[in-house]
Amino acid sequence: MNSTFAIETVALRKHYDGVEAVRGLDLQVPAGSIFGFLGRNGAGKTTTLKVLLGMARPTSGTAQVLGLAADSPAASVEIRRRTGFVSDEKDLFDNMPVGELIRFTSPFFPRWRRDLEEKYLRKFELPLEREVKALSRGMRTKLALLLALCRGGELLILDEPTAGLDPAMTEEVLQTLVSHVAAEGATVFFSSHQLAEVDQIADHLAIIDRGRAVVAGSLDDLRDRYRRIQLVFDGDAPDAPFSSPGVVTVKRKGRVLTVLSSAGADALVAEARRLNPVSVDVTPVPLKDIFLETVVAED
Amino acid sequence: MLWYKTWLETRSRFLIGLVVLMFSAGSTVWIYPQLSQLLPALPEVELNGPIGRQVRESLELSRTYEGYVWLQWFVNNMPKTWALFAILLGAGGLLSQSTRGGAMFTLSLPVSRERLLDVRAGAVLAELLVLAIVPSLLVVLLSPAVGQSYSLGDALVYSLCMFIAGTVLFSLTFLLSTVFTDLWRPPLIVVAVATCVSFMEQAVQGLSRYSLFGVMSAESYFRDGAVPWAGLAITASSSLAMLYLARINVARHDF
Repeated sequence: MNSTFAIETVALRKHYDGVEAVRGLDLQVPAGSIFGFLGRNGAGKTTTLKVLLGMARPTSGTAQVLGLAADSPAASVEIRRRTGFVSDEKDLFDNMPVGELIRFTSPFFPRWRRDLEEKYLRKFELPLEREVKALSRGMRTKLALLLALCRGGELLILDEPTAGLDPAMTEEVLQTLVSHVAAEGATVFFSSHQLAEVDQIADHLAIIDRGRAVVAGSLDDLRDRYRRIQLVFDGDAPDAPFSSPGVVTVKRKGRVLTVLSSAGADALVAEARRLNPVSVDVTPVPLKDIFLETVVAED
Repeated sequence: MLWYKTWLETRSRFLIGLVVLMFSAGSTVWIYPQLSQLLPALPEVELNGPIGRQVRESLELSRTYEGYVWLQWFVNNMPKTWALFAILLGAGGLLSQSTRGGAMFTLSLPVSRERLLDVRAGAVLAELLVLAIVPSLLVVLLSPAVGQSYSLGDALVYSLCMFIAGTVLFSLTFLLSTVFTDLWRPPLIVVAVATCVSFMEQAVQGLSRYSLFGVMSAESYFRDGAVPWAGLAITASSSLAMLYLARINVARHDF
């Protein structure tokens, strides 16, 4: 385990009542990064976050958060003291007024940021006297975010922070996160199935499918590495196997053979030329296609 | 702050219980003068069988104020009402929050699950102690208003016996609330258990002194002046064991 990672899991597994929610997950979240944790519904994102925060115990493997073992009850308390968390349901105490919930939460965190509390109360225009259950979904998300950001933690773990929000509210939440990280230098680990928002704010990502990371790395590196190579032939495209490293998918359709590579295009293009194509076209791959093709490839 | 949170979650049940018990205590004292006027006018009727014996004994006990208060308040009204609120206050907690909301936020706080449970148990036990003692003190305070007096010491002994023994019902509900995720199954199961225990005590002659409700009403103290130490020790140990099991259950639970 390496302390340059805010989160590190090795061969993490979690079974629930016969269901294998996480199956050997290897994950490294660099300290100071904004890390998007992408996956379809039921891919194992929420279960992973629960394991990281000590809400569920791993079946096997290891998970370290801020250098502490997540499966140790004592270390888990310390992890939560240094981590801000927003759950997917924006789970709060419904019967408490907003102001009371803030007063309730702050004493648990020695590094509670009163200045940020005032700043975000003004920015989000939260009604202090209104009960949480009477808040709109957007207001509820803002309150959950305020309670997470003001903890003064080194790490923010956010489970689908923008789920159910309209585009304007989504943009506000994302901008708040980006400016918070710029000002405070915290690590943000957020799960999502919204590719656009990961593309917009993340600098690292992992795509999880059926409990395993199928893609992981920095976004710049992924953009450099992933290439689509389109080969056009005179007749029907040959059913040729490729031996170059990094072949994710190969699709044949009439005269066209399309290969998705996760290891650049050079070796693959050299190999493809031996098949005598009429034309070779190499294009970068948008994040959406990386996600769809790797997840579909798993199917 | 966790104490405050538990108070917020349980205060309505506690306050309703306090009002009901205070009203019941006041009524028990208030109707004594009318009852004492009626008693001499009742004809002597030969009552046989277990029910007849109970009616005869109730009438005999009601001829003295001490006997009347013990029977009506410390045997009938108070333990049953208090037990109901002990069961209701034992319900809830982290598992039911996980289905109703709030559990994820609670679990994201830097507090161990054991501490969450300890605080909840401690706060509710404090509320139950108030529910056991305050209404009985009202009986002592109101007695002079009907021309009677009742010993403060006796009232405290009966109340504490009821609290210590009756905590078994709270602890069982508390334990079941760490097994079932819904709010209502644990209290319904414990109400059913308590009802069965109560029927059994009435059906089996001589059992009442040593049974749960017998210890709760401190029958041996009323009849012989002996505090039911053994019964209190057994019920207190059972309660502690159940609270400990509840801790283990919650520590192992995956949310």
